[in-house]
Amino acid sequence: MLPDLYVNGFACLKGDADAAQCAPYLDVRSLRRAEAVSKNALLCACQALEQARIPAQQRADTGISLAMGAGALSSTIKFMDSIIEDGDELSSPTAFANSVHNATAFLISSLLKITGPCLVTGQMDASFAGALLTAQQLLAQKMCPQVLVTAAEDVNPLLAQVLQKEPNRFDPYVYQPQLPPVRVAGALVVSAAPTDATQAVLKNITLARTDDTAAHTPPLPVSSCAHSVLLFADGLQTQKAFDLQEQFAGMIFALHGEPYVHP
Amino acid sequence: MMPSLKIPVAGMGLLCACGSDVSSAFDGALTGRAYFALPSARVSSTYTSKFPVFMVPPACCTGKPADVTYSQFFFIQAAKQAFAQAGITPQQLNAKRVGVVVGASVHPSFHCFEIYKNWKTGHFTAADVDGLYDYLASPLAQWISQYFGFSGPFQTVVTACAGGTDAVGLAKSWIETGLCDAVLCGGTDEISQSPYDGFIRLLVSTPQRCKPFSKNRTGINLGEGAAALLLTHPQLAKDLRLPCQGYVLGYGNAADGFHPTAPQPQGLGLQRAFAFAMRQAGLTSQDLAFVNVHGTASQANDLAEATACQAILPGVPVWGSKGVTGHTLGAAGAVEAVLSLQALKERMLPATVGFEEPDESLHLIPTTQNTPIVKRFAVSDSLAFGGCNAAVVLGASDAA
Repeated sequence: MLPDLYVNGFACLKGDADAAQCAPYLDVRSLRRAEAVSKNALLCACQALEQARIPAQQRADTGISLAMGAGALSSTIKFMDSIIEDGDELSSPTAFANSVHNATAFLISSLLKITGPCLVTGQMDASFAGALLTAQQLLAQKMCPQVLVTAAEDVNPLLAQVLQKEPNRFDPYVYQPQLPPVRVAGALVVSAAPTDATQAVLKNITLARTDDTAAHTPPLPVSSCAHSVLLFADGLQTQKAFDLQEQFAGMIFALHGEPYVHP
Repeated sequence: MMPSLKIPVAGMGLLCACGSDVSSAFDGALTGRAYFALPSARVSSTYTSKFPVFMVPPACCTGKPADVTYSQFFFIQAAKQAFAQAGITPQQLNAKRVGVVVGASVHPSFHCFEIYKNWKTGHFTAADVDGLYDYLASPLAQWISQYFGFSGPFQTVVTACAGGTDAVGLAKSWIETGLCDAVLCGGTDEISQSPYDGFIRLLVSTPQRCKPFSKNRTGINLGEGAAALLLTHPQLAKDLRLPCQGYVLGYGNAADGFHPTAPQPQGLGLQRAFAFAMRQAGLTSQDLAFVNVHGTASQANDLAEATACQAILPGVPVWGSKGVTGHTLGAAGAVEAVLSLQALKERMLPATVGFEEPDESLHLIPTTQNTPIVKRFAVSDSLAFGGCNAAVVLGASDAA
């Protein structure tokens, strides 16, 4: 049976993490080569784990379920730039290595010493929903005691430029294209049973496909799975029961959240 | 831990360098026959005169629509085979909760190099805008679900080279936990500019045909293709009288947290993945006919994997199949799961094509000849960039 997800920590970031924000959690020198999208995810992960009151020495068997709609675009673009500008034989192996979605998962895993199960979902708008489903599965199968669900979305410069000329061309996949794109990240620590740190509980998590591709969800000025993360953050931060329902781009993502009342 | 449900595989499909269906691909594994060629028709790189890859034969690509990627096309071909073998149409399942889980190395941004290059060099056209739209609109699993008319959950697993194994493992879990009645799962990937150049620049590709676990191994060969498995709940299989090609019995996954591109040398993450999958299946290493290893023929992979196999699966015969498929990245785990199920079905364990001479430091000699097998269980595993490790335990259709 699928468990409800007890939320023991949550953090969300719109924009980029800076060194001062990361310094309380990590030696910032370890982040020198990390892409912004990965640093954003890492900062949110640190904040969520802190809220969940999981000390560093008890994190090892935590699961990681990462959502990245389009992946590490900055590194992918750096790698493609290096091929175009420098030629195949001088293209950057470092940029290539950082261009896989796993690079962000690795940063979290290696710096936070987490070696439980680790999966990454990459399916644009439906990525955050997929990552929550994976967290449920990892907990249902008792593969780990808690899961760090993280979402991180990069900015696509190619898309941003095309949108300047054809703002409605990618409807419904991009929202309010007239606004500048921004990176978004979020993280939550979930478990199948409440802990002392539990803030909320998520029920009836649903991801389904529909032939109706029109947008039925109010648009936000972000693209891909960042949209879900911000809607989720809005719901959670009300500290009241909320129903998240997104429907656009041929997918339906829904869940019910409510504050957890400690007995 | 209680052993998990035995999830039956009703149908399988496969398309890769060693065959255009499961039967021919397994024959390729037994004979060493595969399409190993320079990818100059598909990739514009200065390396294409030097580094061959294992490709889906061009004859199998005729009929690919222009607005469909190779990854999509390969998977659809494999999935159609799976439905045909199961003796059922996708429409017959439409009233059921049917999910789709597909592994791929990354989101298709890797395969948008030409669009990006045109933009970067000022040659961006309306056709490229269409291509960009398709890229946004076509998350792999969702696109496949739409293609077959399903409306259940969908997931594109992008744990790089472990994506295919993770997809099979998650599909099993989706059915076991009651999320779906049936899941179309597998993996797909294609040769394209970024991974082709990238692996060469990381100095892990070789211009020679790969030699898994050999002392003189010189690196990996990329490959491409897709594998699809139709998994169902046992009760649904019974109700619909579906055939059984085998079972998915266990799934494990664990991270190394060690290095961005290299596995932990003792394969500690893989050891944990093996151990969990075996516990979930309720089996011991003595029950196994073989383990189909990732076996890329890179120095680091083969060392880590050999150590993990000896630690958790001692004495179990080791078979590497990348000498006929190449490293199909996000498809690899699914390709190898299908080949493993076919080996159990045909009761024949192929030789590790490409293996030449033992590497004393590995303390492991993979299969050297095609050998009949009696035992009815096997393990297939994958390792990936970022230190992601995954393993699935498989059983023959007549496994007790």
